[in-house]
Amino acid sequence: MSVNALFTSTFDTDSETPPAKRRNWGGQAAAIALRGGSFIAFAAILLYFSITAPFFFTIGNIGNVLGQSAILGVLAIGLTVVIIAGGSNVVTGGIDLSVAANMGLSAAVYATVIQLGYGDGLAVLAAISTGALIGAVNAFAVVIVGVVPLLATLAVMNVVAGLELVLTQNTVVPAATDFLSFLSAAGPFGLPVLAYVLLVFTAIATAVVQFTPMGLRLYATGEFPDAARAAGLPVKGLIAGSFLASGFCAGLAGILSVSYLSGSTTGAGDMLLPVVVTALLGTVFSRRLVPTIIGTLLSALLVGFLVNGFQLLNISSTLVNGVQGLLIILVVSATTLLRRQEN
Amino acid sequence: MTAGLASRGANSGRSILDRLVRYALIVAIITVFAAFSAAAPTFLAPANLQSILVNNFTLLAIVAIAMTFAVSAGGIDLSVGTAVDFASFAFVSLVLSGQPVPLALLAGVASGALVGAFNAVLIAGIGISPFLATLGTLFIGRSLQQLLTNGGNPVYLPPAGIPEAFRFIGHGAIFGVPFPLIVVLVVIAASAAVLSKTRFGRVLTAIGIQTSVARYSGIAVPAHVAVTYIVAGAIAAIAGLILTSTVTVYIPSSGNAFLLNAIGATFIGTTLSPLGRPNIPGTVLGVLLLSIVSNGLLLTGLNFYWQQVGTGLLIFVVLSISFVNQRAKRRA
Repeated sequence: MSVNALFTSTFDTDSETPPAKRRNWGGQAAAIALRGGSFIAFAAILLYFSITAPFFFTIGNIGNVLGQSAILGVLAIGLTVVIIAGGSNVVTGGIDLSVAANMGLSAAVYATVIQLGYGDGLAVLAAISTGALIGAVNAFAVVIVGVVPLLATLAVMNVVAGLELVLTQNTVVPAATDFLSFLSAAGPFGLPVLAYVLLVFTAIATAVVQFTPMGLRLYATGEFPDAARAAGLPVKGLIAGSFLASGFCAGLAGILSVSYLSGSTTGAGDMLLPVVVTALLGTVFSRRLVPTIIGTLLSALLVGFLVNGFQLLNISSTLVNGVQGLLIILVVSATTLLRRQEN
Repeated sequence: MTAGLASRGANSGRSILDRLVRYALIVAIITVFAAFSAAAPTFLAPANLQSILVNNFTLLAIVAIAMTFAVSAGGIDLSVGTAVDFASFAFVSLVLSGQPVPLALLAGVASGALVGAFNAVLIAGIGISPFLATLGTLFIGRSLQQLLTNGGNPVYLPPAGIPEAFRFIGHGAIFGVPFPLIVVLVVIAASAAVLSKTRFGRVLTAIGIQTSVARYSGIAVPAHVAVTYIVAGAIAAIAGLILTSTVTVYIPSSGNAFLLNAIGATFIGTTLSPLGRPNIPGTVLGVLLLSIVSNGLLLTGLNFYWQQVGTGLLIFVVLSISFVNQRAKRRA
């Protein structure tokens, strides 16, 4: 920051830099502030809660937040993959509105399989296949039929939410097995196992999306489909794959939610908008303001820490929605204004 | 004329199929209507048909029309439900505090327009994409309602203190026609006229199809977009007013229940337009289709939960047909 200020001032006095160039410096400074700003804001929130709420900054509490963010995090990471491959235009580009309903159905399938007396192995397989199958239906509708993702996944969401109601008759289906209690119990170092699941899952997803050629191709497809097609990338395959991945994540999140809630409960659809906001907000935590897996994880944790801190401070956690909404609007306004300045 | 007839005769098989696809929405409505008439004896009863229109159709139609305005301008409004809620809250609060009903109605519409104005600032003023801006509004609106109602408590009107005018809006009738139905017909007629017959409507369509071309043609794009979202908020507010006077209670964040069906109906309606553009007749027919299906599935005694599956599948089929058709046209 200070270096930038120094440079601009010397240029101002000594050379005849065109005004456009000077504005560019300002824009760059603002861009750096924005990019760092999201991390500074995150750190400030953590700092504030650590000072005001005594138990906030303890390993146990942080572990709890990680564990509680696992379901949201896994779902949002799935959605992030779709957004990366589909592009950032939300109406015609990548979006998967069926993730939350998909999670609900997968959880219901898991709990029902357990109720029918089968083992965890089959239940896991059934839940993951359910998730992936719904992902495949989305992929079919978007890639083969050519329906806009927003609408295709909206219709699939309705069907899936209905199927969940049919399967569970809108009741809670309890499920208790050793595997589920292992997932919801504390693991090494007193951290919940769900926290480890989230971290390991993020690590794998980051490795695949951020560090493999396939990941790069996903970004290429999303940012410029025509160029990606001209370069010979299997654009349709990649987009279909992204919906499959998001379906898989929803299936996984379904298993996590069964263990977290000791069964399948209704109302999974309420998760939809928080998941969408988390995935879209994740772009703030990346250098180039693009969707990334780590960014989405941080965005999920930010929500988790906010809810947790509000609870510790005895503030109504319903305010978290408002904070999320404000964050989205502030962040997106800042980036939009910056882009306009750069042009 | 004769040449046209002759050429149509030459490939009449193809053209009938074309028409079936082009009017997939109308075909779907007729099919569904016929199927339910056959399956459920009570479906065709006048009382039931009126119930479809008053209970299933009215509110969703108004919200979907608000959505249609936003979508015609190339955007989307995820905060229509927020406008419904705010209108409902303002209306109930003012009536509860003893203000005259017309003033409360006006305040309700103004609150909806205010939600729209907030969107307008974000979208037209700052330039945020409509999806993100209205999603933000939806979340902020949800929190505000929790704050206003002490954590989400419904606001009831005591049965004794309900003014006659208030009851009339939800339950009254003129010449036997339920008042909500009259309101929705007026809203449909007015918005259809505005969208297809006025300069404002044509400009909106132009912005929706190619914003940059509209801008280079000298159209004040931001101003038109701003007005669109304010209008959308005000229209959605009407649904909030009717909803509140029907049930005499305001429940925080209840308006969001309309959101996804309104989007569905609007985009199902685009299948009616040759260019695939949102249009009021299409939206209204889309809402009608959804209303008939949800009412009919209930009557046939099918498991209540199959309703949603059926509705979803139907949306899916109609959308698929229309998108396959659009693709085929593009290839041709």
